[in-house]
Amino acid sequence: MAASESTIDTSDMIVCRDVHKWYGNFHALRGVTTTVRKREVVVVVGPSGSGKSTFIRTINRLEEHQRGDIIVDGIELSNDVRNIDAIRRDVGMVFQSFNLFPHLTAMDNITLAPMKVRKLPARQAEEIAEQLLERVGIAEQASKYPGQLSGGQQQRVAIARALAMQPKIMLFDEPTSALDPEMIKEVLDVMRELAESGMTMVVVSHEIGFTREVADRVLMFDHGQIIEESATEEFFDNPKEDRTKLFLSQILA
Amino acid sequence: MASATDTPPGVVLPPPITERGGVGWAYANLFSTWYNTVLTFIYAALLGVALWFGLSWIVLEADWKVIATLGGRLIIGQYNTEFACPGQNCFWRPQASLLLVSVLLGMAWAVSGDKAAKRIAIGVAAITVAFAFLPYSMDQMGLDVRLLLVANLPAVAAGWVLARYTPLGTVRWIVILGVLFFLVILVLVGGLPGVPGLQPVSTIYWGGLMLNLLLAVTGITLSLPIGIALALGRRSSLPLVKLLCVVFIEVMRGMPLITLLFMSQVLVPLAFPQDFSTNSLFRAGVILTLFSSAYMAENIRGGLQALHPGQVEAARALGLAGWQTTLLISLPQAIRNVIPAIVGQFISLFKDTLLVYIIGMLDVVEFSRAFIQGNAKYLASARELFLFLALVFWIFTYTMSYVSRRVEAHLRVGHR
Repeated sequence: MAASESTIDTSDMIVCRDVHKWYGNFHALRGVTTTVRKREVVVVVGPSGSGKSTFIRTINRLEEHQRGDIIVDGIELSNDVRNIDAIRRDVGMVFQSFNLFPHLTAMDNITLAPMKVRKLPARQAEEIAEQLLERVGIAEQASKYPGQLSGGQQQRVAIARALAMQPKIMLFDEPTSALDPEMIKEVLDVMRELAESGMTMVVVSHEIGFTREVADRVLMFDHGQIIEESATEEFFDNPKEDRTKLFLSQILA
Repeated sequence: MASATDTPPGVVLPPPITERGGVGWAYANLFSTWYNTVLTFIYAALLGVALWFGLSWIVLEADWKVIATLGGRLIIGQYNTEFACPGQNCFWRPQASLLLVSVLLGMAWAVSGDKAAKRIAIGVAAITVAFAFLPYSMDQMGLDVRLLLVANLPAVAAGWVLARYTPLGTVRWIVILGVLFFLVILVLVGGLPGVPGLQPVSTIYWGGLMLNLLLAVTGITLSLPIGIALALGRRSSLPLVKLLCVVFIEVMRGMPLITLLFMSQVLVPLAFPQDFSTNSLFRAGVILTLFSSAYMAENIRGGLQALHPGQVEAARALGLAGWQTTLLISLPQAIRNVIPAIVGQFISLFKDTLLVYIIGMLDVVEFSRAFIQGNAKYLASARELFLFLALVFWIFTYTMSYVSRRVEAHLRVGHR
C-alpha cells in the first residue's frame, strides 16, 4: 500500500485504480483505471448506459464503488464519513437536471453551502455569490427563484453554486443535455471560461465542438470500461477502436 | 398556401362568445346541448325548492331564542357556574384569554404581508364587538362582560402597534409570545391556588367552545413537530428507531380515536397516580395530539418521498451534512408540498375534539345536547341550536383552509 501511494504525483487530482461498481447483479463499472491531473479538462463520452455517469458520480461518492481505489486530491474515498465530507467540499458538481433548490432564490442557493459548511459570514458569502453571478452572466437574476429562470440560467446558477465552495475539481454530468438548443451555448461559454481559468474538470458530454476546443483528453466508455483514452485531437482524428469509430460516426452524423 | 379564410399577420381576433362574460359562460356551461339545458332547469328547480323551504324555515319558523339563552355558556360551558367557581364571577378569565389572542392577531396583521391576517384580526374584533351590543338585559349580560368584549378592538390595535413600532414585530417574537400567552391562558383559566380572583377551577368544568379550541390549538401545535420527528424516524436507517416509529404510527392509525379516548379513561388510571389520572383534559389533550401526530407523520413522509432525489444529491455534493440536508433542503420542500394534507389534518383534529364527550367532557356540542335534554322547554329548539353550531364549526374550519390557501399562494412563488 505504502509503495503504491508513493507513486502518486501531487499534481494528480483524481486517481482511479481498478474501480468496480455493481447495482445488484448488474456490473456497472468493470475495472476503471485513469488519472486526472491538475488543470486538466477530461471529457467522458460513450453510449447511454455505458457507465460514464456512474463513473463521475463515484468521484464524490454519490455512488459507492465496491472494489478498487479512488483517491481525490490525496484523500482516499472510503467509508470514513470525514473523508467523504472533506472531498465533497473540494469537488463541485453540476447535474443534468440542475437540481437547484426550488424553495431558495438564486442568491440563497449559492450562499447556502459557503455559510453552512465553510461557516462564512452572510456578508462575505453574498459578496462571493455576487461575483460568481457576474461571472456566469446573470447578476440581475439574484433574487429570482429557480422556477422563474430559463433552463440555461438555472444551469449557470448551478455552476455558480458549485463554484461558491471554491472547489479544486469540477464534475459536470451531462450539463447541457436537458437544455433547449439556444441555451446550450450560454452554458458552454461559462464552462469554456472556467476551463481557461485552469480549473480541473471532468465532463460527461456529447458536445463535440466544445470537446474538441476545450478538452485535453477524451475517455470513451463502453459496457462499464474505458475502451479508449487519448488526447483530444488523436481521439477524433485517429480513433483506434472500432466501437469508438462507430460511436463517432453516429454522433457526428 | 394562403386561402381566403387565413388570418392576415398582425390581426388580433376577438375571442369566441363562449370566452366572454356571463352570457358566454352560461352558454358554454349550462345550455351547450339540449340535455345540459334540461339538467340546468331540473337543478334550478330543486335549488329553488330547497332555498324556498330552507329560508322560510330560517326566517319565519325557527326560534333562535335558545342560542341567546345559552349565550356565553356555549363558549365556556359550566365554567362560570356556582359549583365550578363558587362565590366569584369567573367569566372574565376566558374573556381575558381572548384578549391575549386578539393581541397576537393584531401583531400577525402588522407582520404578515398578506390580507388574510388582517381580515382575521378585523373579523375577530368585529364579531366580539358586535356581540357586546346584543340587546340582552343587563342580568343576562353584565356591563363587565360587554366591556371585555369591546376591549378586543383595542387589543387588536395594541398588538398591531406593538408589532409595528417595537422590536417585537417579527415572526420569531410572535411565536415566542404565542407559546407564552398559551401558558398564561392555561393559568388564567385554570387559576392559581392562593391568588385572590384566580381561584382554581377544576378541569372537569372546562367546557364549551373554549374546550374545543384549547384542545385543537394544543393538538395542532404539538402534532406537527411530533409528526415530523416520527416521519424522519420512520425513514431512519437505524432499525430500532424505525421499528418504534412504524409501530407507534400504525397502532395509532389502526385504532379509532374513540377507542383510544375510552382506553385512556379506563386503562390509564390503573397505571398512574390518581391526581394525574383523574385529569380528563390532560388525557384528552395527549390522546388527540398523539393520534393526530401519527397521521401527520404519514403526510410529511409522503412529502419527503415525493422529493426529487437530485435535491438530496445536490445538497450532499455541496458538502452539507445529512442533518443539514434534512433541515434546510428536504423538510422545507416536503412540508410545503403537503400543506393541503397538513391543514386537512388540522381541520379533522378540530372536528375530532368534540369526541371528548366519550370521556365525559362537555365540549360545545355535548354541552348543547345536555342542555336540550335537560330543559324540556327547549326540546323543540335542537334543530336551531345544532344548525348554529354547524355554522360556528364551519367558520373555524373555513378560516383554516383560507389561511392554508394564502400560505400556499405565498410559498408557491417561483415554483413550477
